[in-house]
This record gives sequence, structure tokens and C-alpha cells, in this order.
Amino acid sequence: MRRKIYRRTIQLFLIATGLTFIFPLYWMLNLSFKSKEEVYDNAFGLPRNWFFENYENTLKSYHFFVYFKNSLIYTAGTLLLVILCGSMLAYCLARMNWRFAGAALSYISLGLVIPVQVVMIPLFMMTMSLKLQNTYPGLIIPMFSFGLSACVLMLYAFFRSLPRELEEAACIDGCNVYQSYFRIILPIVKPALATQCVLVFMNVWNEFPLSYILVTKESYRPLTVGLANFFLQIGVTDWGLIGAAMIMTSLPTIIVYLLGSEKIEHALTAGAILK
Amino acid sequence: MVRFFSTKISIAVFAFPALIAFTVFVIYPLIPEVVISFQKHNGFRSDGFVGLANYYEVLSSKSFGKSGLNTLIVVLMSTVLALPLSLALALLLGSQGQGTRRLFKAFGMFPAILSVTVIAQMWLAIYEPEWGLLNSVFKAIGLEDWGREWLTDRGTVIYSIAVAFLWQYIGLNTLLFYTGLKSIPQTYYEAALIDGAGPVKSAIRITIPLMQDVIKFVLVISILGSMGMFAHVEVMTRGGPGYWSRTIVYELYYRAFMSSDFGAGSAVAVLFVIGCLVVTLLLNRFVARERLEF
Repeated sequence: MRRKIYRRTIQLFLIATGLTFIFPLYWMLNLSFKSKEEVYDNAFGLPRNWFFENYENTLKSYHFFVYFKNSLIYTAGTLLLVILCGSMLAYCLARMNWRFAGAALSYISLGLVIPVQVVMIPLFMMTMSLKLQNTYPGLIIPMFSFGLSACVLMLYAFFRSLPRELEEAACIDGCNVYQSYFRIILPIVKPALATQCVLVFMNVWNEFPLSYILVTKESYRPLTVGLANFFLQIGVTDWGLIGAAMIMTSLPTIIVYLLGSEKIEHALTAGAILK
Repeated sequence: MVRFFSTKISIAVFAFPALIAFTVFVIYPLIPEVVISFQKHNGFRSDGFVGLANYYEVLSSKSFGKSGLNTLIVVLMSTVLALPLSLALALLLGSQGQGTRRLFKAFGMFPAILSVTVIAQMWLAIYEPEWGLLNSVFKAIGLEDWGREWLTDRGTVIYSIAVAFLWQYIGLNTLLFYTGLKSIPQTYYEAALIDGAGPVKSAIRITIPLMQDVIKFVLVISILGSMGMFAHVEVMTRGGPGYWSRTIVYELYYRAFMSSDFGAGSAVAVLFVIGCLVVTLLLNRFVARERLEF
């Protein structure tokens, strides 16, 4: 009996804690339907008059669709490059006969120790002198380079665990190295690639410091930075607009999360078991 | 066979694109960074070498000292408060049924998938002095004196930002711990039960020691993550009031991009890299990961 009461108490506590994680989001949704004045005297109750104009007014100065398109391009570009080049390097290090494989593996691990914030200054100057500032590659290439280490190290462990016979069979059947890699090896490690895709997507979609520094033109900003600039621009007076902008910005991520929460959870926790 | 596949050309095709990009954009930038840190540089043009002047100026400035202290506060809060909290939540979660676990997982992951800008702005609303959540709660339970202007008060500002920052990853860290906890074989607990150990004792004597792999992993990522805190500061206070909520990375950003002193900014960056390396070495030394096999 006492045990049961304990369990109930813990259960209630955990559910309450869980709710604190989504309460702010609900609150923002709530604010987004209130007029500027109503926020001050009715901050928490349901809106007295549903003020849908907030969304319309937000879209006037918050270029959501531009930012959204940019975020898609940055994320897709980075994802493609990281997965393609990262997996190829991991494969080379794990299974090819290369004298410097060990050295290259340690070299690429250095990336885990160098946070991107450290080299913001030289990256800014490099993209400027390479005329890459305010272009899509100007952000994609640095983000890709910084995404490599984690991807290579994780896939390396996966490639190591595959049996040697795979390549032997491919070779006997007349595949060259590229065919054997793209037709046989990659399809086998699909689950690991999917995990990597989720991780890279999360990192790049929500990336802040690099995009903030390297992209100075409005029309090339991704969502995170566009939103931060919108907030700076309108200040902290009209919370209805702020709420609406936040809900709009989060909606795509939330939809993705609801569709694949199990995959995402698996990907985000995979690092803890593998490393 | 492997030998047959590993021609010079195929190795080059597989390895070089990634290695070149990594070298050019991750490793190489450290060189100009060190060079600039010894120069007077405004981002477009260098006015020649000035020796250690940038370092001297940075190290003797009050804002750098404050930003170092603030970074230390965030790191300490993440290891001493947030990490044990996540661990405790994971242990409690382990005692619960499927339903509660599912619910907690779904909710707990939420903040981690949202963008930092959204999270930081949300916390601005929570700390809002007039109608914000925190002060309203204090008012409702009769502790009105506890309310304050969290983000303009010099004494509370860095703690307030740190809470916002750490809150975002508490749920995710709990899930990481929970994953580690689930990989411990049930037989250990059966044995402990026979020996008469209660739930608290078996948590301390069995679960936590056997989870050390995951604990170390989370420790490392949260220390390195909190050292680089930047976005929350920029969105919530822009380093203010004055320089009281600057972190090291913010100091770097402020000096280079706000006051166009790339030399001093690079000096901060070089000091920060050295800090990161020292921390990594210490972590490797003291929390070396020997894999546990069950």
C-alpha cells in the first residue's frame, strides 16, 4: 500500500515536471491570440477576444517564407554534403588499406574539441575574401566542415562492424569500388545514416552563432537569425506579435517531431550508447 | 580484395573531399586567428603587429574577467545542478510504467528540438517583471518581495540566463540517462532485492556506478556546451546590463563584431581555445572512459 502511494506521488511529480517543459509553448500560443493591451491585464487566461490579426501583422514585417526557404536550403545542402563526404571518409578510414588512416582518424577527432564559436572571426574574414558572404555556399560549407567530425566518428564505428565478405562478394561479382560502396555498403548502413540525418538536421536547422555572424543580408538569413532580428526590431512591447512569430517558426519543427518522434529520440540518445 | 579496392585514386576520392573541407574551414582558421591576435586589426585591414598588447588589454579588462566568471558560473550550474537533476529524474522515471515514461519522454524532448531563439524569447516572457510567469507565480503565493527585474538586476542576470539555457536540455539529458539506465541487466536488481536492498540503496550502489559511461558522456557534452553559450545571451540581454551577462564567447563577439577590434577579439578566442583544450585534457584525465561490459 505504501509503495503504491510512493509510486503515485512520483508519477504525479514526473507528469508535473513534464508539463513544465511544454507549458511555455502553450503560453506562447495563448499570447499569440491576444492583442497588445490584453497581454498586460490577462497574461495567462484564455484570450477574451481572439485576435487573429497578430499572424497577419507578423507576416508583414517578419519574412517567414524567405527565412523558411533559406533554412531549407542551408539544411538540405549541409545534410547532403555531411552525409556523402562524411560517410565516404568514414568508410575509407574503417575499411580501406591506407597508411594514414589512423592519423586521419585522430586528426578528424580534433573537430570535437574546437567549438565553432572559436573560429567565428577568421571564418568571417575568409568568407568575405572568398566573396562567399551572403551566398548559400558561404554558410553551407563551414557548417558542413564543422558537422564532419561527429558524423565520421559515429559511422566509422558502424563500418568497422561489417563483415569483410561484403566487399569480397561485390568484387567477385565485378563491382568496382564505387559501385560496391553505393550499391551494397551504403544501403546496409541505412539505419545509421538515418540517425546521422536526424542529428545533422537538428544541429543545422537550429544553428545560431555561425549564421548570425556570416549572414548579414536580410534575404539570406535562416529562420533562427531572422526571428532574432525580428524580435530586436519590434522590441518587447507587442507580445501578441512575438507569440505569433514564435509559433510560426516552431511549427515546422513540431510537425517533424510529431511525425518521427521515435526516430528523433533514438537518434538523439544514440550518441550516449555508442561513444 | 580490400587491397584491390584500395587504389591510390579511390582512397583520394573517398578521403579527400572531407579532409580538405575540414582542414580549410576548421583547422586552418586557427592560424590567421593566432596571427591576428598579435595585430591591430579592424576586420578589413591590419595596422601592423602590436606584440602582446591585445592580450594585455583583454586580460586586464573588467569585462573579460566578468565574462570568464560568468562562463564558469554556467558550467558549474550545469554540472552541479542540472546534471544531478536530470539523473534524479531518470532514476524516478525508471520506477514508472510505460504510460508515464512515454508522456515524460514526449514532453521532455520538446525544448531540445525548438530553436534557441524561440527558447530565449520564451524565457524573456517568463522573466518579464510586470506580468511575466515567474513574478506572477511569486505574487500568487504571497512572496511578492521575491519578484524582481531578473534580467536587468546585475546580481541575478547571469543565473537567469543560465537557467533558461540549462532548462532546454534537462529533458534530453534525462532521456540520455534513462537510456543508460535501461541497458543495465535486470539480474543485478534481483540479486540486490534478495540481499535486502531497497530502491534508494540499489540506485546508489548499482544503478549509478553502472551508468558511469553515460554519466561521463553527458558530463563532457554539457561542460563543452555550456562553455560556448552565446545565443541565449544575445537574444535575452545582449550582454547587458553593461557587460554583466557576457560570456567568453559573447566577449569575443562583442569585441570583434560590435567594436570592430578583431585583434582583441582574436586574443579572446585564442585564450578560449586554450581553455577548451585544458578542460578536454582534464576531462580525459579524470573521467577517462573505460567501457563497462555487462
